[in-house]
Amino acid sequence: MAAIDTAPPPSGFLRSDGKEKVTGAGRYTADLTLTGQAIAKFRYADHPHARITRLDTSKARALPGVVAVVTQDDLPDVRFGGLVQDRTLFARDVVRFEGEIVAGVAALTEEIAVEAAGLIEVDYEPLPAVSDFSAAMEADAPVIHPDLASYEKDENVVADGNTMAYSTIVKGDADAAMAEAEVVVRGRYVSDASQGVPIEPRAVVAEWRGDEVTIWSSTQVPYAAREGVAHTLQVPEANIRIVVPLLGGGFGAKCDLHFEAQVAALARAARRPVKLVFNRREEFTAIAQRREGIVMEFETGVTREGRLVSRRVKLVLDKGAYCGEGGFLGQMAAMHACGPYVIDHISVEAFLNYTNNQPSGSVRAPTAPQVCWGLEQHMDEVARAIEMDPVELRRRTLIEEGAEGPTRQVFDEIGMKQTLERAVEMIGYGRQLPDDEAIGVAVGWWPSGAAPSGAYVHINGDGSGTIVTGAQENGSGAVMAMPMFVAEELGMRPEDLTILYQDTAAANWDMGSCGSQTTFNSGRAVLAAAADVREQLLDAAADELEADREDLELVDGAVRVKGSPDRSVTIGELAGAGTIHGKGSGEVPDAPEGDTGGCVGRFGNETFLAPQLITQAAHVKVDRATGVVRVLKVVAAHDSGMILNRAGADGQVTGGVVMGVGLALSEGTQLDEEGRQRNPALLDYKLVTCADAPEIEVDWIQIPAKDAGPRGSKGVGEPPQVPTAGAIANAIARVVGTQVRQMPMTPERVWAAAREVGA
Amino acid sequence: MKTSATLRVNGHDFPVEIDPHLSLLKAVRDEIGLTGAKEGCDDSECGACMMLLDGKPVNSCSYLALQAEGREVTTVEGLSEADRLAPLQRAFLEENGVQCGFCTPGMLVSATALLRSDPDPSEDDVRIALAGNLCRCTGYGGIVRAVRSVAAGAGG
Repeated sequence: MAAIDTAPPPSGFLRSDGKEKVTGAGRYTADLTLTGQAIAKFRYADHPHARITRLDTSKARALPGVVAVVTQDDLPDVRFGGLVQDRTLFARDVVRFEGEIVAGVAALTEEIAVEAAGLIEVDYEPLPAVSDFSAAMEADAPVIHPDLASYEKDENVVADGNTMAYSTIVKGDADAAMAEAEVVVRGRYVSDASQGVPIEPRAVVAEWRGDEVTIWSSTQVPYAAREGVAHTLQVPEANIRIVVPLLGGGFGAKCDLHFEAQVAALARAARRPVKLVFNRREEFTAIAQRREGIVMEFETGVTREGRLVSRRVKLVLDKGAYCGEGGFLGQMAAMHACGPYVIDHISVEAFLNYTNNQPSGSVRAPTAPQVCWGLEQHMDEVARAIEMDPVELRRRTLIEEGAEGPTRQVFDEIGMKQTLERAVEMIGYGRQLPDDEAIGVAVGWWPSGAAPSGAYVHINGDGSGTIVTGAQENGSGAVMAMPMFVAEELGMRPEDLTILYQDTAAANWDMGSCGSQTTFNSGRAVLAAAADVREQLLDAAADELEADREDLELVDGAVRVKGSPDRSVTIGELAGAGTIHGKGSGEVPDAPEGDTGGCVGRFGNETFLAPQLITQAAHVKVDRATGVVRVLKVVAAHDSGMILNRAGADGQVTGGVVMGVGLALSEGTQLDEEGRQRNPALLDYKLVTCADAPEIEVDWIQIPAKDAGPRGSKGVGEPPQVPTAGAIANAIARVVGTQVRQMPMTPERVWAAAREVGA
Repeated sequence: MKTSATLRVNGHDFPVEIDPHLSLLKAVRDEIGLTGAKEGCDDSECGACMMLLDGKPVNSCSYLALQAEGREVTTVEGLSEADRLAPLQRAFLEENGVQCGFCTPGMLVSATALLRSDPDPSEDDVRIALAGNLCRCTGYGGIVRAVRSVAAGAGG
């Protein structure tokens, strides 16, 4: 457990939200209290799948201290969802998972609210529940959304029965190539569902003033929340202000519209502010945003020299009860079943199936860690079948500049192979180890996400400035780094700049803290706004100093003539009594071209913009007698283009790797036959603790990315979790002599695998 | 039925009227108004609510407020004086031990207790002492470095 080697932040610069975070002064949403606020509680479905035959709220309404009760009958008759609009805010007629909300109450105290929620009377006609997401495709399976055909949906959605979205990735003729392959290897892998588990449970506070509402929410995506509230309550977006106090982590679990509208509806009915704070059980069961379970069946045809001539894959994913923002998961999984490899012919099918389980959504690099875990074990099986070292097989098959991706996207200069060589070097691959220890290697990839953004930079009369951005700080430091970028552009000190962020009333639309996009898109906008300010400062200073613009430079809070430091004017003087304000958005990069005509269910991930490329290697120790695995060390070599904030980037990798260790070994949501969670608590759903976390070493292959983020950058935050479980799995397989085919790879599963081969 | 009690928190006495079943965490957050300690699980699993009780770390979510009467309670707000950060707080920032910050108050409290009982802990000592505090962001390395950087044996 040695210390991690990371570069320190620039001298003296501490993240500007740091002081409030270490003193306890900082306010998270649950820390807010408004005068007269009532406390909200939800009544959840009593069945995973049932028809509501009677819903009577009269006893709850009559309870002293109750100030509002809301059901779907009180709200506009609209459905919401991303690619498929399949859900109402409160259940109407049918409940489809255990965490579905039937009604909401608001009361003077939490105790009264809990009692009132219990007094709501609901009669149900139970319907057959489908929890097994493969069985959901069978012809006689109960249909979860009989009206699916009539729902509003994206034109690219291919839906059938319980399959909400069918997607394929197709290149060439995989069947013919497989038939002629020298060696064919097949492997089946199953990943259980898991959870994002931010340590802050979500909280929402809503307060109306006339027809306008302010909602404080622990969301990663305030603008998506605004859009969702506007749609579901039929209120103009201009009347809705979403403010995010400090956000206590998200990891994707706080993406999408999540309870802001229900709380706003309660506050409007109560005619007073209403506050909702989830307990840990609700944070597990009621959110529509967990990591999906996946069944993966891989088949790869390969030559004895290690050329991948064909790959066929069938993926079945558990969508859960509703679409939410996760309609694209099948297509994303299909790209990860190809992986960052050169493969001659490909046919991947992905079925994203409705079940009566909790809905799935984007959790850190959605679908990638599970599919990578399966694929990378499969690749080690392929290597074994042709008697080749698994690293050598990857060396021969990974993408590089000029290579073709799964849809014939041609890559610019990329560092995929360099990450492999660097990781292998860092871990000491091939060295002698005790017979209960081994090293495993896995590679992966993740796209950068292009989206619009916009920013303002204001300079005040005293030379200080403010950055106004729609970007959302989830803790990563991506927003906290923005003063460094602007200061460099304008010759200022980072501490001279404050940030106005996480407030939809202040800034332009932004995609939010998702898709590793904050520096990529919001950073681009902030730099464009700073460049606008720079132009204005140079114009004004050229007049003031009677100098040619080309001879001016911005240094130490002033504009001065190069070589004549006494001919200068401070930026505060240039701002004078007014404010200098710049704005910018920058150019959104286009999606790379590919031959995607043969693919169906396309949602924009059929090519990967500025792909982030990763190799990780894990050194593990396995107790064969008990199946207990200890991860001793993980090394991570990443190509995320140019790294603009080394300390922040390193922190993403170390955190992502530890999440990956949890996913690999202990984190799995266990369900009963009807889809009820059996371990919705931190006692039974085990995160990695400080004592269990491995030593982690990080390095970056820095190649300026074309048509990407600012200064040649790509995204950073999601890839760290992608190959960790795969690397651990490959190390375990080396010790026990066979693959562990279900994740999490619990002691019981590892022990059973070892026993199977007599290890 | 509410009970009158006096809680001594961060060196100040606070008279409160509370239900006997109220947790120390809720009393300090809702009655006294110090919201630095967080509720992450209400189950003694995450450590975000950690406070010192006569110098010993406790999960305040699972401790009755009335049990703390007559004892010295310290929260994260009590770790620094006025506007000056304690060395441990500053080290958390300098060593990149803070991301979302939600676990930070509990981490700081647990680490403070450790350093008071063992001014020069080994890395393993630190990792074991903080094993009751979950962090989902950092991977723990920066936090461990921060604690060790202010330990008695740390150079510089």
